[in-house]
Amino acid sequence: MVHAPILAIAVPLLGAFAAPLLAKLDKRARDAWVLAAGLAVAVFGIAVAVKVLGTGTPWVYTLGAPSPGAAVTQGGFPIRIVLVVDALGAFMGIVAILAGAVGLLYGLHYLREEEGKTLGLSLLLLLWAGILGLVYTGDLFNFFVFLEITSIAACALIGYRVWESRPPEAAFKTMTMYTLGGLLVLVAVGLLYGEHGALNIAYLSKLITGSAVERLALGLLLGGLLMKAGAVPAHMWAPDAYGEAPAMATVVLVANTQASIYAIMRVVFTLFGGALARPGIGWLIASLGTVTVIVAVLMALIQRHLGRLIAYGAVSQIGYMLLAVGVAAVARGGFGEVALRGGIFHMINDAASVGLLFLVAGAIRRAVGSVDLMGLGGLGRSLRWESGFFLLGALALAGIPPLNGFASKFLIYESAFRASPILSAIAVLASILLLAVVVRAFHGTFLGPEPKEAPPSPKGMLVAMGVLALLILVLGLFPGFFLGRLVGPAAKALLAGRAAYLAAVLGG
Amino acid sequence: MGNLPFVASMMLVAIGFLALITRRNLIKLAIGITVIEMGVNLFLVSLGYVRGGIAPVYTYAPPGFKQMVLPTPQALTLTAIVIGLATTALLLAFIVVIYRHRGTLDAGKIRELRG
Amino acid sequence: MRIGSGEGFWGPIVWAILALGIAALGFAVWLQGRRTYKRGTEQEEPFLSGEKLPPGAPGIGGTHLYWGFTEALKPFLSRLAAFHTGFVGDYVGWLIVILVVAIMVVILT
Repeated sequence: MVHAPILAIAVPLLGAFAAPLLAKLDKRARDAWVLAAGLAVAVFGIAVAVKVLGTGTPWVYTLGAPSPGAAVTQGGFPIRIVLVVDALGAFMGIVAILAGAVGLLYGLHYLREEEGKTLGLSLLLLLWAGILGLVYTGDLFNFFVFLEITSIAACALIGYRVWESRPPEAAFKTMTMYTLGGLLVLVAVGLLYGEHGALNIAYLSKLITGSAVERLALGLLLGGLLMKAGAVPAHMWAPDAYGEAPAMATVVLVANTQASIYAIMRVVFTLFGGALARPGIGWLIASLGTVTVIVAVLMALIQRHLGRLIAYGAVSQIGYMLLAVGVAAVARGGFGEVALRGGIFHMINDAASVGLLFLVAGAIRRAVGSVDLMGLGGLGRSLRWESGFFLLGALALAGIPPLNGFASKFLIYESAFRASPILSAIAVLASILLLAVVVRAFHGTFLGPEPKEAPPSPKGMLVAMGVLALLILVLGLFPGFFLGRLVGPAAKALLAGRAAYLAAVLGG
Repeated sequence: MGNLPFVASMMLVAIGFLALITRRNLIKLAIGITVIEMGVNLFLVSLGYVRGGIAPVYTYAPPGFKQMVLPTPQALTLTAIVIGLATTALLLAFIVVIYRHRGTLDAGKIRELRG
Repeated sequence: MRIGSGEGFWGPIVWAILALGIAALGFAVWLQGRRTYKRGTEQEEPFLSGEKLPPGAPGIGGTHLYWGFTEALKPFLSRLAAFHTGFVGDYVGWLIVILVVAIMVVILT
């Protein structure tokens, strides 16, 4: 298990590129291969998390050295590319593995062979590898490369249904935005390299003094990453993408968006956490988060298309996370750490609840062939399991106690109130509106005077949805366990653990 | 004069953004993205240039050379070019599919996803 | 299993027990309902405001729920919907706006 961090990235890459070859031989061999790759990734990712959380220090994996534990720096200068997994990286790895595993399991039964199932599964594995690389890397340029891998795989998945007219349009728009965001990040990486001659996050973090070029780089990074996270007003690609992507990909797309939030955290707290730790940046992110929450919820209220409705709900959840990150950047420590715990905990809650809703929407689309709320209705009797899962996911999304959405939103409300009561009030109001949104969606889809017939979903899809439903219940009923073991260390790693992160990479 | 490549690269980026905002033809939008990409690549290459430097390959270096240009930005640029190729190919593929469905390349008319 | 925020705390187990109690109460009320209706007769037909629904009538669809609320906010919501034009150039324009704002904030703080 010495090589677990790199294997967690390499195995899905291998899985992705070997799957089409195996599919030429036998379809069942391909399914088994994809499942085995998914299982291996889960094992490696969990092994990384267990070790990092067990020892309490970041795991530095040096690439290209005689041994992976070799020192990064030689003569005080980091010459090798590194993977650095701290408690936050390990947590994000778990979120990514959860989303990827559920998406894979669902996709194996959801995709149809004649539609190009092989390529869909390949792209899903590629996206998974990209997300894991994004959260594990300790090098800015590799960060850009993984960002682009996720962009390309994500957009190809969004445009998966080329035989319909809407998905290619969504894919084109998303690809335009993702490419521009990636290029902004690349310019920022270039600026930082030009200033300090290094690409290692820990090393750069030590050198940053707050000069004009560094500030410009921070601005470019924030602009690109906020867009990729889906902050209003640069959120418009998100409902297009989430609404049109096949359901199994949407779960992983949500994890991809959260990886962007992770990147914002890493940039604000670790990379620029020294000389440029200014509250103004926090206020920018917090206010954008609040605007995102309220605008996305109001847009969700008037949607007719079930996929777009849930997508706007997902964007509003991103707003909560941005709000938490912003509040934490305003006050580093104290209620800022509470906010950060809320924001990080909200990631896994959001992946579970929004993911479950998207999976149910996909099952409805598969069963009925449409997700227009005007034409739907009365499916509650024939799709019993789906309606139960949808209700659970919808209530968790709206933050109804005792489900998981409430536990994390509670922390965000309380800490945002300490920063500014207005932010907290808007967040609570948006949560109430979100309940209206999901009630409307549930009523429009499953209730109604005339029961409609629909073919049942395959067992594998129900199992994938059941995993997320179970997670919602467990996370909601035992939040203390997860906050103490997973989320607390992750929040600490960002604020107080910055010194430990730098020391782990640079030594001393 | 030393800053001229940076000015040129930023101008390329500005031209690309201008094209993206003002043009409506999908192919022209893809060209705009490519122009921005080229501007960024030019920025990276000029970042690593050292006046009077030679190509950073030790095996072919003439005896008594003074300086080499920085190798890392060139590696970054090569990677960025490859990634740019992939994104451009994917964008053009989407444009072909969109054209087959709608029979138009006008981005102002390809607005089925809105509201 | 309680989690604290420094100000307050949240204990989901107590809440869950309470919610189960309320659900049990609701179930008890539901059990008082009539079971002797005849299936396949008019007693099963849906009515709306005392009128029998004509066949194929959708009833109140999901899109009509919260009609009053969306109607009251209509001037604002329609402007918000119009703001989401779906034109790629606008997407890029807003990206530039967010970028300029971020750079301004970072440089000025």
